[in-house]
Amino acid sequence: MKKIGKFLASRLFKSVLVLLMIALFNFFLVRAAPGDPAEILAGQSGAVDAEFIAKLRTEFGLDRPMIVQLGQYLKNVATFDLGYSYRQQAPVTSLIAEHLPATLLLTITAFIFAVAAGVSLGTQAALRVGKWGDTVITTFSMLAYATPLFWVGLMLVLLFSVKLEWLPAFGYQTVGAQFTGLAHVMDVARHLLLPALTLGMFYMAVYARLTRASILEVSQLDFVKTARAKGLSERTVITRHVLRNALLPVITYAGIQAGGLIGGSLLVETVFAWPGIGRLAFDALLQRDYSVLLGVFFIASLIVVIVNLVTDILYTVVDPRIELK
Amino acid sequence: MKRILSRVAALTLSLGALSVGGVALAEAPTPQYGGVLSAILNPEPPNLNVALQQVAVTQLVAGKVYESLLTYSFDLKPQPSLAKSWEVSPDQLTYTFHLQPNVSWHDGKPFSADDVVFTYTKVLANTPRTRTLMANVESVTAPDPQTVVFRLKQPYSAFLHAFDIGGGAILPKHLYDVDTPITQNPHNNAPVGTGPFKFKHWERGSYIELVKNPAYWKEGRPYLDGITYRVIPDAASRRLALEQGAVQQAWLQDIEPIDQQRLAKLPHIGETKKGYEYWSTMLWIELNGGREPFSDKRFRQALMYGLNRDFIAEKIMYGTGTVATGPIHHNTRFYDANVKRYPYDPKKAIALLDEMGLKPDKDGVRARVGLIPSPYGEMSRRTAEYIKQNLGKIGVQVTIENADVGGWTTRMGNWDFDMAYNGVFQYGDPAIGVSRTYVSSNIKKGLPFTNTSQYSNPKVDELFNAAAQAPTEEERQKLYTEVQQILVEDVPLLWIADTNYSVFHNKRLHNVVTTGLGVVDTQSDAWLSKE
Amino acid sequence: MKDFLHAFCRHKGGVAGVIVIIAVAGLALAANWIFPHDPWEIVNAPFMPPMTDDTLLGTDTLGRDIGAGIAYGARLTLLLAAVSTAVSILFGVSVGAISGFYGGRVDQAVVGFIELFQTIPSFFLAVVLVAILTPSMTTVIFAIAVVSWPPLARLVRAEFMSLKNREFVQAAMLAGQSNARIILTQILPNSLSPVIVSGSLMVASAILLESALSFLGLGDPNAMTWGYIIGASRSVLRDAWWMSVFPGVAILLTVLSLNLIGEALNDALNPKLARKRTT
Repeated sequence: MKKIGKFLASRLFKSVLVLLMIALFNFFLVRAAPGDPAEILAGQSGAVDAEFIAKLRTEFGLDRPMIVQLGQYLKNVATFDLGYSYRQQAPVTSLIAEHLPATLLLTITAFIFAVAAGVSLGTQAALRVGKWGDTVITTFSMLAYATPLFWVGLMLVLLFSVKLEWLPAFGYQTVGAQFTGLAHVMDVARHLLLPALTLGMFYMAVYARLTRASILEVSQLDFVKTARAKGLSERTVITRHVLRNALLPVITYAGIQAGGLIGGSLLVETVFAWPGIGRLAFDALLQRDYSVLLGVFFIASLIVVIVNLVTDILYTVVDPRIELK
Repeated sequence: MKRILSRVAALTLSLGALSVGGVALAEAPTPQYGGVLSAILNPEPPNLNVALQQVAVTQLVAGKVYESLLTYSFDLKPQPSLAKSWEVSPDQLTYTFHLQPNVSWHDGKPFSADDVVFTYTKVLANTPRTRTLMANVESVTAPDPQTVVFRLKQPYSAFLHAFDIGGGAILPKHLYDVDTPITQNPHNNAPVGTGPFKFKHWERGSYIELVKNPAYWKEGRPYLDGITYRVIPDAASRRLALEQGAVQQAWLQDIEPIDQQRLAKLPHIGETKKGYEYWSTMLWIELNGGREPFSDKRFRQALMYGLNRDFIAEKIMYGTGTVATGPIHHNTRFYDANVKRYPYDPKKAIALLDEMGLKPDKDGVRARVGLIPSPYGEMSRRTAEYIKQNLGKIGVQVTIENADVGGWTTRMGNWDFDMAYNGVFQYGDPAIGVSRTYVSSNIKKGLPFTNTSQYSNPKVDELFNAAAQAPTEEERQKLYTEVQQILVEDVPLLWIADTNYSVFHNKRLHNVVTTGLGVVDTQSDAWLSKE
Repeated sequence: MKDFLHAFCRHKGGVAGVIVIIAVAGLALAANWIFPHDPWEIVNAPFMPPMTDDTLLGTDTLGRDIGAGIAYGARLTLLLAAVSTAVSILFGVSVGAISGFYGGRVDQAVVGFIELFQTIPSFFLAVVLVAILTPSMTTVIFAIAVVSWPPLARLVRAEFMSLKNREFVQAAMLAGQSNARIILTQILPNSLSPVIVSGSLMVASAILLESALSFLGLGDPNAMTWGYIIGASRSVLRDAWWMSVFPGVAILLTVLSLNLIGEALNDALNPKLARKRTT
């Protein structure tokens, strides 16, 4: 128990360190950018003069020494104050909080789809190794692995929304519709389908390949050979003995992929006009709303750090053989 | 192909005429009360304090909640709004506004002349938009709660043309005369005004809900129970929402230019080109006159001849703009079409470059220049790409330089550019929206949206100044005509297009556009017929 | 060498990949001959569907030829991917080599650094970098390099750590060779095969990254890359499917081929490891 506590403490420390580095990186990057936020805000008013810019600069603390700004910035980040959006006139934290649920809905759905479909496809392929079914699944995952995420999205829209008119192409819910209860859930689900499929496709391919390779590897191990020797059917051997062990690397990978999913959501949310933090970041990008862009970047990193922490812990729980360092 | 195109154009023209007729007919039925208008909002506005932010979307929403002293007819004549009537003294130095009686703020507090004085002296005098106007003003006073008096330092003939909602929204003194800096006042996102609609709720990323103000000062208005502005960031979804009736109103570039003609043909969709007269945005390519070879008039003229502006208007803007003839938009007051023309003529352009001695080098290049597209929207990007190709043909090699919003304004302001795409409002009167780009007193390094081309011509300065103070319209017209002719000859910048946007609406929605401010105006007369 | 070729050719996918890559490279080189005009040149009416008049793959919103865009795009896309991969290999190998060879504090710091980079959502990082440093060829290459070096550094580090203790290295050390010489002449040549394998996979992912950046409008505005064409097609998806379909297929085929080549190389270079391959 003590060991676990120590392990947790060291992981936590590392995570905090990572976040600190990201905060530092954010701070210096924005100061390396051309133009300053005061000018951007001023530019959007349609006309501007030096006095006005200077006023804004004082108001936003941009005229204080760098080190003071840095100290203030770190203090703010530590208290989840990610700054103020000059453009949207709202605290970045609350903007992100408003957009985060949509992103979580999308990424978690995509993740569940990717793992479920990927693991079962991988298992099926492993069961039919070298046969026709394996070739189809392997080829499919090769293809999905090589396709740009945003392009998959566009092609799905072209097929399911433009050609077949089955599913809505964009957005989170039907504009202006006053659905409640189940109808509302169904409406959102219909909108969720394509983006989640798009985001999940690539990782499905990853998991299919991973599961297949992992199963093939584990099935060469001695205990599996023993099971086989006992005369159990191949299917039973795979499901009872192999799969459980083969899924361990899949869990580790899930942690690593969190970052990829979040990054992918930037593209997918842009393609599908999905109102999550990826879309928020993209809009901020167009407007060069630095505080929002970097705030989203920080929160995305934070989520990845948390997911990694959780998978690390999960891993030690699932597999007691893992030595705690 | 060309013949087909012109036939299509003729067809759309006649359809346009029909739908204008349709609007006229539809005004005959008696207005009905009730119904909530759903309108497109794109992009989502940064905030709703229109005194601080003049982006179009802020004006669209805030224009229902706040009001200004005046509004403007389609031919840009001042009309009553919060001011019931007004007088100008014979020496043109004193403007007296009489306010509407029985006006109250949405929180129940009474509205008075004090609010107007406060807004002008404490808020608008400091905003980039209105400080130029206020520079002419000596004092703003309220002799009684119903009267506001502006005393001017010198005559300023455009004075009555700067009282639109974007330049003169009146804020409640009791909520803004506080210690918090105005940029952080909580009411910027939950405005309290005097208009026909009250702010109710803003669901960021989704919608802004306004509801009817039952205590509105205009008897029997508004007709609508409310307006919900729906944020729809995606172009295809916007078109679909309008097509299917989920929203009933779209403006500016809510509908992609390429889709507009198709949409206008739907039986339940109406289109009007009215309601943009006040802004009359012009799109142009700014030239850095402080740099070689832009300082040479022949080079600037060569660029003008070398640009196929018809292609841009037809194939990139799809009729949301017409080729510009000069510095004044054809819908702005004092426009004169009688100026030198620059048809697409690459031969003439090359002849001018030859005359200057700009001979092609071994790659066929006569000059190398940079072009910064505006960071807003795809159209500017496509236009820049086209200009690059177009000017390449006369031996001017263009490199497109990416700049974000900050970079774009900063580089233009600091004269750190060769050519830059820009779109500028004209605000109804050349003295407000046009002269600022050309007079030498407005060459101000560091400030964007000034005379960043650094064009300087004493004759032009003199004409613009005289026109701003000339007492009669006839005199002003004469002066502006002359200034237009000089500028068009000199080409301080490349005028690309006069924008010619449309408002699209479901035909259930009536009286969509009633003034030169279009859908930005209060829309207290708009009404919905039953389905 | 002969063995290597033999082993490589056994991998049918790899051979197919090589053929496709040669074809794409050929297209890139021959772009001038096939399409004598610039890809930005307006050569036809806008929105011409494929196989009409003299356009094979159709034209875009302004009447520019999609086929020309893809051919010239191949040039830029391959070039950008190759250069950024080269940069990140240079950096990744140096960092990995130093860390693996010297160990100790340096190694700890490097590992920490690698972990940091592997935790940050890499696509987000690339977007933030390009956006803030202003999009251009250089910043795009820089951003791709920044996000793709860590896995390679980790790989090289592991190679170096195990090779360091091998007899031939120990012998060189005893013979008094300088560290730099040992790294460059003894260890590096022996750890090249995984670098080559990752190299081909890195080019593939660089293409994906570049196209995603261009799609978001974060490419060089004067560069017509595949991602740019798809990005520009988005608003007219309903009117011109060909604008998005063809460049996407080009990306897909190229990336797929590079992945297949990577696998084949892996099998040919590390016959022992072939079975252990994961993604």
